[in-house]
Amino acid sequence: MNVGRGAGEGARRLARRLIHQRRGQIVSGMVLLLSLAGFGALGFLVAPTLPKPQERSFTVVARRYGYDPAIIRVNRGDTVRLRFVSEDVVHGFYLEGHDLDVRITPMRSTVEVHRSGHAGEPEVVEEIVFRAEREGKFRYRCSQTCGFMHPFMLGDFVVGPNRLLPTSIGLAVGLLLGGFILMLTKSGPARAMEKDDAA
Amino acid sequence: MFVQAKGIRALAGTSPAVATLAPRGPATAGRIDLLQAVPGLRWLLTRRWFQFAMILPNLVLFLLFLMAGTFGSPVGNRNIIIIFVWILWWFLLISVLVPFLSRAWCIVCPFPFFGEWLQRRALVDVRAVDPKKGKGGPGTIIGRNRYFGWNLRWPKSLTNIWLQNIGFLGLCTFSALFLTRPIVSVGILGALFVIGTVLAVLYRQRAFCNYVCPVSGFLGLYAMASTIEVRSKDADVCAKCKDKGCLAGGERGWGCPWLMYPSKMDRNNYCGLCMECLKTCPYANMTVNLRPFCADTRLKGYDEAWKAFIMLTLALAYSVIYLGPWGFLKDWANIAEKADFTGFLIYAASLWILALLAFPGLYYVAVWLGRRLAGADIAPAKEVFLSFVYPLVPLGLLAWVAFSLPLVLVNGSYILMVVSDPFGWGWDLFGTAQIPWTPVIPDWTPYLQVPLLLVGLAYGLKTGYGHARRLFTARGQPVRAFAPVSVLLTAITVLFLELYLG
Repeated sequence: MNVGRGAGEGARRLARRLIHQRRGQIVSGMVLLLSLAGFGALGFLVAPTLPKPQERSFTVVARRYGYDPAIIRVNRGDTVRLRFVSEDVVHGFYLEGHDLDVRITPMRSTVEVHRSGHAGEPEVVEEIVFRAEREGKFRYRCSQTCGFMHPFMLGDFVVGPNRLLPTSIGLAVGLLLGGFILMLTKSGPARAMEKDDAA
Repeated sequence: MFVQAKGIRALAGTSPAVATLAPRGPATAGRIDLLQAVPGLRWLLTRRWFQFAMILPNLVLFLLFLMAGTFGSPVGNRNIIIIFVWILWWFLLISVLVPFLSRAWCIVCPFPFFGEWLQRRALVDVRAVDPKKGKGGPGTIIGRNRYFGWNLRWPKSLTNIWLQNIGFLGLCTFSALFLTRPIVSVGILGALFVIGTVLAVLYRQRAFCNYVCPVSGFLGLYAMASTIEVRSKDADVCAKCKDKGCLAGGERGWGCPWLMYPSKMDRNNYCGLCMECLKTCPYANMTVNLRPFCADTRLKGYDEAWKAFIMLTLALAYSVIYLGPWGFLKDWANIAEKADFTGFLIYAASLWILALLAFPGLYYVAVWLGRRLAGADIAPAKEVFLSFVYPLVPLGLLAWVAFSLPLVLVNGSYILMVVSDPFGWGWDLFGTAQIPWTPVIPDWTPYLQVPLLLVGLAYGLKTGYGHARRLFTARGQPVRAFAPVSVLLTAITVLFLELYLG
């Protein structure tokens, strides 16, 4: 009789402990999620507001193994005008996410433009004009084998407000501060590891 | 019992890990025994031909790479050695094999193949011997196996991974050469074959893999995070075992070629997954477990800590040089073509100072600050430092995956090209040689890199907090102790985010 009562007590205590643990895990998860969401949203919101769209012109000088300017910064909605010069050999200018692949020949003011949507002969132009519609960072890369370091010849085309960067930084900070909160409340996921170590 | 306890201790004395093994048995929490869960897996892994069958195709492939690098096109993206080794192999190694399959590469690695063959004079069979009766005869008896070659012991002062650290950093300083020139890659891969073979003739078992191979060093470090492990099932069975076949070998297999004591293994670092211990254990007490990510959390020496510093520094430096827009940095690294010796010296010196002094120094300051903030000096300084360096393992691994991802997505189409034309001679074996260069979702890469880096940071913070709780017990102490390091880890992540997205 006493044994049965003792076993029942033990089972109840175990159940209470499990419920407490599960509750702790749920609270930890909620804290972490809230921290991530809060700081991620904060990062998203602190991105600068865009000025009125402008026309931006750049002359891109290609040489083995880099471009000048190495970084082109514009804002979403800007009209971008690009002219190209090659100082040594034939280079390419493949702009990620923009269906634009340009062949730049030395000593020539015109370039050949290849677009996957336009089959057939490439377009020959002096200047490329397009609107920066998508925000974010897009790399431009050499698409014509130009030498040993050809695969690493690239530049950055950054379209503001580029909210992915501050949002991601916000998420990283959210992880850090969420971790602090969990540590202070002593209910964090690290507890599990501690138990593993002690086992 | 063939081998006396003294003999076992003598064997164990050569291991880099045995001396530091914790007395407790391996943790089993959250593990799934794959040999029980997957039908036929135990049968497969305990076949004597298993490892030979795994290495052979890879050996043939690497010999093809060496031929292509020597006789094929000097243009990197037209030669299979560059595309397969530095784009495909590297990506698979760092993004798939290491995180999910630990040191599975070491099962198929061809570099020690010839050396091990010379050592054993057997490709599949075992040379078992009763050490009491079988004295004399050719070769040397170690444990219950007979080996050939000189079988010297590796110098005790070098039983660490410092050689691998320096070798890897040195090699990576010249990455612009071997990443772009097939003949330089031939030199490096060929040298690994030669050094692996020579060292196997001179020193016992896998001295090359344990202490010299530059790839092995970072594989060991990042294998700590991996989701599989080879471990004993029941520590009591091992404690009562008098056979010690896993260490001494026997008729069923060789003693651990990695000079580990498998029954007491509690980390993945120096286990090459050769599966010999599965074969030699008389109680079938060794198994392969599926386990949570980042289950091994303890670094056991400064050599391992510095490996973590070197790896993260290289991930950062490569992200700047190979994914960054700054042409002058590429020119500095590209010494053979640009011959800018001053630039190269600045680049090389910066890399070495950052990896060996500046970054570890900054980290040391953060750890020291944390100990000051915590107030009490309970835990030994070395243990705190090594424990707080561990978070660089998940962070570094995920940073390497984030760095490697765009390389394979952008240059992956070259793989199809060189499959059809491995030497760059104009062949078209499978009709894919003329496939144009086609980057795959390059504009979406940042959306993949962000979660990778955040997962790395999350695991870094989680494991670091775990160590802080273990080392600092008073209320509020763990948070204060780990705070500076956690801020530094977050700052490093932000730096990567800035490089990839900004």
